[in-house]
Amino acid sequence: MLQILIQGLLLSGLYALIAMGFTLIFSIGRVLNLAYGAYLMVGGYIYFWISQTLGMPKLMGVAIAAVLGVLMGVLKYRLIVKTLKGDHVAVEISTLILAVVIQAGIVLVFGDSSKILLPIVPGVINVAGASVTYNILIATLISWAILLGLYAFVRLTHTGRAMQAVSMDAKGAAISGIDPDRINLITWGISGALGAIGGVFFASYTQLSPSMWVAPLIISVAVVIVGGIGSILGTLVVAHIVGFLEVIVVATLAPELRGVFTMLLIIGVLVTRPQGLFGREEL
Amino acid sequence: MGLRWFHFALWGGLIAGMFLLPQFVSNGTMRTMIFANYLAIFAISWDVLSGRTGYVSFGHPFLIGIGAYTTAILTKRFDVAVEISIPIAVLVTMIAGLLVLLPALRIRGSYFALVTLAFMELLYQLVQVIRPDLTGGTRGMSGIQTLTRGAANGYYLSTTLMLAIAVSMWLLMKTRLGTALSAIGMNEESVRGSGLSTTRLKAFAFLTSAMIAGLGGAFYVHYLGSLAPRALFDINFLFTIIVAALLGGTSTIIGPMIGAFFMTFLLEYLRPVLPGAERYFVYGAIALLLYMYQPKGIVELVRRGFKGLGKGRAA
Repeated sequence: MLQILIQGLLLSGLYALIAMGFTLIFSIGRVLNLAYGAYLMVGGYIYFWISQTLGMPKLMGVAIAAVLGVLMGVLKYRLIVKTLKGDHVAVEISTLILAVVIQAGIVLVFGDSSKILLPIVPGVINVAGASVTYNILIATLISWAILLGLYAFVRLTHTGRAMQAVSMDAKGAAISGIDPDRINLITWGISGALGAIGGVFFASYTQLSPSMWVAPLIISVAVVIVGGIGSILGTLVVAHIVGFLEVIVVATLAPELRGVFTMLLIIGVLVTRPQGLFGREEL
Repeated sequence: MGLRWFHFALWGGLIAGMFLLPQFVSNGTMRTMIFANYLAIFAISWDVLSGRTGYVSFGHPFLIGIGAYTTAILTKRFDVAVEISIPIAVLVTMIAGLLVLLPALRIRGSYFALVTLAFMELLYQLVQVIRPDLTGGTRGMSGIQTLTRGAANGYYLSTTLMLAIAVSMWLLMKTRLGTALSAIGMNEESVRGSGLSTTRLKAFAFLTSAMIAGLGGAFYVHYLGSLAPRALFDINFLFTIIVAALLGGTSTIIGPMIGAFFMTFLLEYLRPVLPGAERYFVYGAIALLLYMYQPKGIVELVRRGFKGLGKGRAA
C-alpha cells in the first residue's frame, strides 16, 4: 500500500514535468504540439551526447539541452505555427510530420539501437521497504519546483499575466497593448525548455530510443485532455490521477495493461466532458 | 452529375495503362507498385472521411488493423475460407467505424483527432494482452494464407481493387451525397441549416471510410501473409497514410493515388542511399515542405501549372 503511494507520487511527479510544456502551449497557443514528444527525445539525446559521449559535466548537459529546447520551440513557432496562421488541424498535421522527421534525424545521427542513460544523480534510498532511486526522487522534486515556479510566474509577473490574457482572448489582449506574437514566442520557448528538461529525466527513467517520443506524448495528451485548458493546477492533479492509475494497475492487475486505462480515461473524458475536469467551458 | 466524356477517357487510359504495365517493368518495381496500391486504398479511405468532412482521423490504422486482424484470425485460427472471412472483416470494420462515429457526434477538430489516436493506442495495447492465443500477442501472426503467387498476380489483384475503389468513390463523390459530405467539411452548421441530417451524412462517411479501410486491410494482410501489432497500430504507418493523402491533394480521388505512388517510389529510390529508418528524414522533410508550400497538394500544383500554360498560350 505504502509502496504504491510512493511509486505513484514519484511517477506522477515525472509525468507532471513531462506534461507541463505541452499544457502551456495548448492553453495559450490553442494548438496541440504533436512534436512535443520529439522535444523530449532531442533533450534526452543531447544530454546523452554531452555528458556521456563527450564526458562534460552533467549540469552543462541539462543546460544545453534546455537551450536547444528553447531554440526548437521558437523556430517551430516562427517557421510553422505562424506561417499556418492558426489553422489548428494544419498545425497538428505538420507537427506530426515534424515529429517523424526528428525521429528519423535521431536515427541518422545516433543510430537505431536504444541507449541506456546513466542516472543523473546516482544512488538508491530505501523508503518504507521500497527502493527509490535518487534519480526519480530528484526528478519529482524538480518537477514540483518548476510547477510552483511556473504558477508564480503566470500569476505574479507582468509577462505571465499577459500570457493569461492572450490565452483568454488574443484580440482583447492586443487592444490592451500586449503583443500576442511576442507572448506566443515566449510560451513556445518556455515549452521547449520544459520539454527538453523533462526529456532528460524521462530518458534516465526509461531509456533512449528513436521511438521513445510516443509514450510521453500520449501521457501529455491525457493530462491536458483530462485536466482541461488553462489550468496549471489541473495539470498537477491529473498527472497524479494518470500516474497513480498506472501504478495501481501495474501492482494489482497486470503490467501489460498499464496504458489501457489511460486511453480509456482519455476517450471517456473527451466524449462526456470535452472541456476537461478543471478547464473552462470551451468548444 | 457533371460527367464528361474526357473523364471516362482519362480513367480508361489510366486503367489500361496500369494493366499493361507488368509487360514493361521488372518484378521488383511491381512489388513496389503493390505497396503503392494498398497505400492508395488507405489514403482514399482516409480522405473520404477526413479530407471531405474535415473530421481528421489520427486513428485510421485502428480501422485497417481491425480488418486485417479479423480476417487473419478467422482464416488462421478457425480455418474459415477467405471468401467468407474478408466480407466478415469488412463488416466488423464498419461496426468499428460506428464506434469511432460516436465521439464525432459531440466533438470535432483537435479533440476528435485525439480520440481517434487514443483508439489506436488502446487497440495496440489490447491486442497484445487479450487472448494472445488468437492474436499472436506482441509478435503477431505469420503464415496467413496468401491469395496470389508471384508479383504479377499480386499486382493485378491490388490494382483491380484499388481502381475499383477509386472509380466507385469518384462516382459517389460526383453525386449530391458527395457534395453534401464536402459541405460538412466547409460548414457543418449551414449543412444542418439546409435541412440535411448531418448525423446521417457523417454516419455514411464513417461507414464508407471504414468499409474501404476494412477491404484494404483484409486484402493487404492476405498479400503480406503476416502481421504484427507494431507494424499496424503505429504512428509511422498513420503518418504514411496521412502524408500520401495530403501530398496528393485532399478532397480528390486522384490526389491520394498520386500521393501514395509518389511517396512509395520516393522511399524506394532512397533505399540505396539511406537503407534504414533514416529515409523518413528526407521523406518527411519533403512532405513538410510541400505541405507548408501548398496544403492542397500536388493536384493543385499541377492544376496551377496547366492554368499558367493556358495563359501563356493566350497571351
